[in-house]
Amino acid sequence: MGNSKHLGLYMLAPAFLFVIVFFLTPVLLTGVFGFTNMSTATGITGGSYMVSQSSMQALKDRHDLSEIAKKLSQVIYTIDEEGLNAAAQEGVDAGTLAELKAGFLGQSFQKRRAVERAIKSLDNRPSSTRAIKKLSALFERSVLNIRYDTEVDLFAAIDKFGLPLSVAEKTAMSDVTYTGWVFTTDNFKRMISLPDTMTTLINTLFYVFVTLIVFNTGFALVLAISTHYMDAASAGFFRSVWLLPRITPPVLYVLMWKWLAWDTGFLSTVLGPLGFEPRNWMLDTPANAWTFIILINGMVGASMGMLIFSSAIKAIPSSLFYASEVDGANRMQQVRHIILPQLRFPILFITSYQTLSLLTSFEYILLATEGGPGGATEVWALTTYLKALSNYAGALEYGYGAALALVLVVVGVFLSILYLKLFDFKTLTAPPKIE
Amino acid sequence: MIRYKNTFAMLATAVMLTFGTSGAMAAEYTISVWSGGSGPNDNYRIDAIKLAATLLEAEAEVLGEDLKITIEGKPYTQWDEFKQAVTLAAEAGTAPNIVVAGHEDIAAWSQSGLIVPIEDYVDLDSWPINDIYDNLMQISSFNGKVYGLPQDAESRPFFFWKDYMRTIGYSDADINALPAKVQAGDYTLQNVLTDAKKIQDAGLVKPGYGFYPRVSNGPDYWQFYTSFGGQIENSDGKLVFDKAAMTKFYQFFVDAVALGVTRKNHIGTPWDQWYGEVANGKAGLWHGGTWHYARYTKKEGQKDFFGNIQFTLIPAGDAGGKANTLTHPLVYLLTKQADDDAVAIAAELVKIASEPRINTLHAIKSAHLGITRSQSSVDLYSGDRWAREATKRLLPHATAMPNNVSFGQYWEIMWGGLEGSWTGQKSVSDAIADVETELKTTLGDKIVIR
Amino acid sequence: MSGNYRKWPMILFLGFMTTPIILMYVYLFLDTVTNSPPGSMIPNEFTTEHWRFLWETIPGRPSIWAATWNTLLFATSTTLIVLVVSSAAGYALSRLNMPARSFFLGSIMVLHAFPTVTLLIAIFLILQMVGLYNTLIGVILVKASLELPFGIWIMKGFYDTVPWEIEMAGIQDGASRFQVWTKLVLPQVKPAIMALGIFSFLAGWSEFILPLVLAPDNKVQVLSVYLAALIADDNNFDMALFKSVGVFYVVPVIILFVFFQNKLMNIYSGGNKG
Repeated sequence: MGNSKHLGLYMLAPAFLFVIVFFLTPVLLTGVFGFTNMSTATGITGGSYMVSQSSMQALKDRHDLSEIAKKLSQVIYTIDEEGLNAAAQEGVDAGTLAELKAGFLGQSFQKRRAVERAIKSLDNRPSSTRAIKKLSALFERSVLNIRYDTEVDLFAAIDKFGLPLSVAEKTAMSDVTYTGWVFTTDNFKRMISLPDTMTTLINTLFYVFVTLIVFNTGFALVLAISTHYMDAASAGFFRSVWLLPRITPPVLYVLMWKWLAWDTGFLSTVLGPLGFEPRNWMLDTPANAWTFIILINGMVGASMGMLIFSSAIKAIPSSLFYASEVDGANRMQQVRHIILPQLRFPILFITSYQTLSLLTSFEYILLATEGGPGGATEVWALTTYLKALSNYAGALEYGYGAALALVLVVVGVFLSILYLKLFDFKTLTAPPKIE
Repeated sequence: MIRYKNTFAMLATAVMLTFGTSGAMAAEYTISVWSGGSGPNDNYRIDAIKLAATLLEAEAEVLGEDLKITIEGKPYTQWDEFKQAVTLAAEAGTAPNIVVAGHEDIAAWSQSGLIVPIEDYVDLDSWPINDIYDNLMQISSFNGKVYGLPQDAESRPFFFWKDYMRTIGYSDADINALPAKVQAGDYTLQNVLTDAKKIQDAGLVKPGYGFYPRVSNGPDYWQFYTSFGGQIENSDGKLVFDKAAMTKFYQFFVDAVALGVTRKNHIGTPWDQWYGEVANGKAGLWHGGTWHYARYTKKEGQKDFFGNIQFTLIPAGDAGGKANTLTHPLVYLLTKQADDDAVAIAAELVKIASEPRINTLHAIKSAHLGITRSQSSVDLYSGDRWAREATKRLLPHATAMPNNVSFGQYWEIMWGGLEGSWTGQKSVSDAIADVETELKTTLGDKIVIR
Repeated sequence: MSGNYRKWPMILFLGFMTTPIILMYVYLFLDTVTNSPPGSMIPNEFTTEHWRFLWETIPGRPSIWAATWNTLLFATSTTLIVLVVSSAAGYALSRLNMPARSFFLGSIMVLHAFPTVTLLIAIFLILQMVGLYNTLIGVILVKASLELPFGIWIMKGFYDTVPWEIEMAGIQDGASRFQVWTKLVLPQVKPAIMALGIFSFLAGWSEFILPLVLAPDNKVQVLSVYLAALIADDNNFDMALFKSVGVFYVVPVIILFVFFQNKLMNIYSGGNKG
C-alpha cells in the first residue's frame, strides 16, 4: 500500500516545515555563527570598510604601519576645480561658486567645520544647513570616517588620496578597516583559556544532576505515589498546588522566593526572634544559593514528572493492587513490585527529557541569583545568554555566545543518543501492523 | 536677535528638505523615539521631542508651509532590553528615528553603522549646540565625529547622613567643610571605612549598613577605580588595565566586608528596599546619583534632604588617588534610515529639544543636570537648589567612561572580578589574575595592561 | 484503596512539604491589597491602589487589556498549531509505514537538546527574512515550532496504545487510512489532545523571552513582557504594582487549571512500548 507511505509524508509535512524553518535552520546558522566574531559592533548582516581613528590605531598595533596610519588619519577639505565643477553639475548657484573660487581656490582645511565656516562667510551663501553640508562634502579629499561598501572602493579612494598601497599593505588595510564580522576559531580558544569555564562546567553538571535526581524524578515519584494512595479530593488538592509553580510566570514565581529569602523577607522575620541575624538567605553563601536554585527549579520540574507518573500509575489495572493486598503485600512491597516496574519507561522518558531541559534552562537562575554570589551559581546556558543577548554594558557577543551554545548542543546530542539507547529505541518504532 | 538667524536658517533647511525646491505639498513625517532606562520622572526624554515638533511645525507654518510631524515615543525601563531591541530593530531595518541611549553605546553602534553622525545634519556653530558644555560634546563624539547631542548630564555623589556624623564627633562646621576636604583629597576612602565602623559601633545603624553601596553593576564602580588612580583609556584611545589600582579598588570592598560595614551578600539587594533605607537614615554612608534626589524627596518622602544629608565627590582612594565623580550623559542619537529627509527632520528635532528651556524641564523633573551654559539663567533651573549646588560641586570634576568599541567587554570583566572578590568567592589576587587572563584572551592588543 | 492503607501519613507529609508554596501564594495576594512595610507579616490596611492598572493605563505602557488580548491570542494560536501539527505527525510516526521513521523519531528527541535561547539571533534573522519580525504571527510560529518535538512525542505515545483492531476494522469497512485516522483513531486519543492542549496553552501563556526579543513593539506586547518591565532596575521599581499585575496574570491560568486538572492527568498513555 504505497498510499499509506505517501500519506505518512503528507501528515509529517507540516511538522517538517515548521521544524526546518524555525528550528533546524536556526540550529545550523548558530553553528556557523559560532565560528565568527559577530557582536553588536560588527552587526549581524554585512559590514563596510572605514578608515577611522580606531582602525588606524589597529593598523599601528597589529601591522606596524604607523606612517600610513598617520597620513590617513587626517581630514582634508580642498577647494579645487574638481570640486567646483562637481558642484556646478549639482546645480549649486553660480554666484556662490564664483565667490568660493575667487576667495578660497587652492585652500585646504583640516576640519569640516572650517570649510563650512568658509562657505558661510560668502555673501551668496546657501541658505540652508543641509545645502552647506552637501556643498562642503564635494571638497572632501581625505578618506577618514567615510564608509565604503567594498574594499575596492576603499583602495580606489586611498589611491586618489595619493597613497598607493602595496599588496601586503592592502591586506593589512582591509583587515583593520572592515567593520563586519569575520570567520575565526578564537571563540573556542578563548573558552578554553578562561579560568571560569571549568567552574561553569562543574556548576552545570552539579545543577542538572542534583535537580534531576532530587526533584524532577525523585520527588516527582514521591508525589505521584503518595497521591495515588489518597482520596481523590486530597490528591487533587496536592497535585494542583504542586502544579502552581509551573503555571506561574517565572518572574513572579522567583519573586515569591525572594520574598521568602530576602533580608526583610519571611525567613528573616520568622528566624529573627530565634537569634538569627536577618540576612539575604538566598545570596548568603554559595551553599544557600544552590539550595534555593535547586528548590526553585525542582518545584517547577517535579510537577512534570508527577503528572506523567500519576497518569501512568492510573493506567495500572487496579486488580493488580487488590490481588497483592489479598496476598498480604504492604505498601512498600506494592510500590516495589507493582508500581516501579510499570514506571520504567516513564522514568526513563522524564529523566532524559528533563536532563536536556535542565541543561538548556537558565531563566530561573537568571531571575533568582543572576549567577551569584560571585558567579557561584553560574551555569553554562546562563553564561551563553548573558554573553550573547543581555548584559548591562550592552556588549553583546553573538559569535562567542553561539560558540558556547554549540558546546551545549554537542553535550545534549551525546546525552540524547545515550538515552535513546537506554530507551531501547528499536522497540519504540515497531513496524506497523497494517500493510 | 542674532540667535534667531540660525533658527531661520535651520527652518529654511527643514522646509527645503521637506518640500524639495518646489514646495507647496503637505509633508508628513512619523518620527519614532525610543529611550532606555527611563522611569516615571524621565518622560521629557520623549516629550521634549514632542515639544520640538510643535515648534518646528509652527516655524513651517510661519513660512506658509504645511509640515506635520507625529512623534511615536517608547520608553524602555531597562537598559539591556532596550539595547537588545534597538540592535535587532536596526538589523531588521525598523530602527526608531531617534534613540536616547548611554554615550558608551556610540562606539559599537557607529562601527556597525546603526547610527549616523548628527554633525552631518546640523550646524555645530548654531545655537543651542554652541551653548552645550564642551566636555559633553566630547562625550557625544567618537572617532573625531560628533554623533549625537547630550540629552542630560548627571554625576554620582557620595552621601553622608549628617546626624550620624555628628554623633561620632563631627561638628556642623566639619560637616560643612567635608565637600572641600574630600575634593582636596584629605578625606579618603580609608576614612570612609573608619567612620562607617564608628557609626555602626555606636549602634546607629544595623551591621552591614555603615557603608551601603550600589546594589548592582553600574558605571558607579569605575569611580572607585579612578579613586585609586586608575586610568580607563589612554590618550591613544586604548583601554588601560591598571593592576595596582584595580587591586586596591577590589581590596577596598573586601576590607569593607571584613570590617562588617558592608554586607558580603549586598549585591542583589532589591532597589526599592535600598532606596527606602538610604533615604531614611538606615545607612550611614553611601553613594548614588544626582537623580536620586528626586526619588528620595518624592517617593521615599525625605522632607529635609539638605538638613539630613551631606553630599561630596567620591573620596580619593588613598594618598595617591584623586577625588572624582562620574557623569554618564544620555545622548540623542540618529539612526540610519532609508529616508534621509526623515533623518534631517529628526536632527532638527533633537537640536530644538536641546534648547535650554526645554532641556530644563527634564533636568528639574528628573533631578539630572543641565547640558547648556545658559541653563543657569533659566529660572526653573537656577531656582532649584539641588541643580544649582550639584552642578557647582560635582560637574567640574566629572569624568566619563570612554567611547570605545571594546569598553563593554572590559566593563563586564571588571564587574565579574569585583563580584568574585566582594562575595568571597576568590581572593583579591586571584580575581585580579583571572581578570588579567580574561582581558588578554578577550581583548588582545586592544588593552594595555600595566 | 482499602482501609489498611491509611492516607493521613501521606497527607501529613505532603502537607508539610507544600506549606511553603501555599504561604508564598497567600502573601503574594495579600501584598497586592495592603501596604505592609517590608519585614512585617501582618497586613496593615486594605487598599486597591495597586490594582489601578485595571482602570487606568500606566504612562508609556500599552493598556493591560490590549496585552491580555495579545497573550490570549498568542497562547490560543500556538496551542491550535501544536495540536493540529503534532497529532498528524504523531500518527504518521506511530502507525504509518514510511522511510526513515525511526530516524525522524530520534531526531525529534535530539532537537530538544538545542538551547532555544541561543538560537534567538538566528531565529531573528529568519523572521526578518520572511518579514515576520515584530509581529505576533512570527512569535506564534516560532513558539509552536519549539513546542512541536514535545507534542509529537506525547501524541506518538498515545497512538501507540490505540488497539490495532480498531483500525483494521475500519480498513475492512472500506475506509482509507486517512479516514480511519480522523474518524476512528482521533476520538480514541481525545484525552491526550486535551492534555497536550492545556500544556501548550500554559506554555504559551507564560512564554517570556521569545516575545521579548522577537516582538518588542508595544502593539504586540504580551503580559509576561508587560509584567517584567515593572521591576526594572534603579528608579523604576514598583513591587506592589508588579505583584498585582502578576496576580492578574496568573489567575486565569489557575482557573483554567482547576477546571481541567483531571484532564492533565492523562498526559501519559501508559503505553510507549510499541
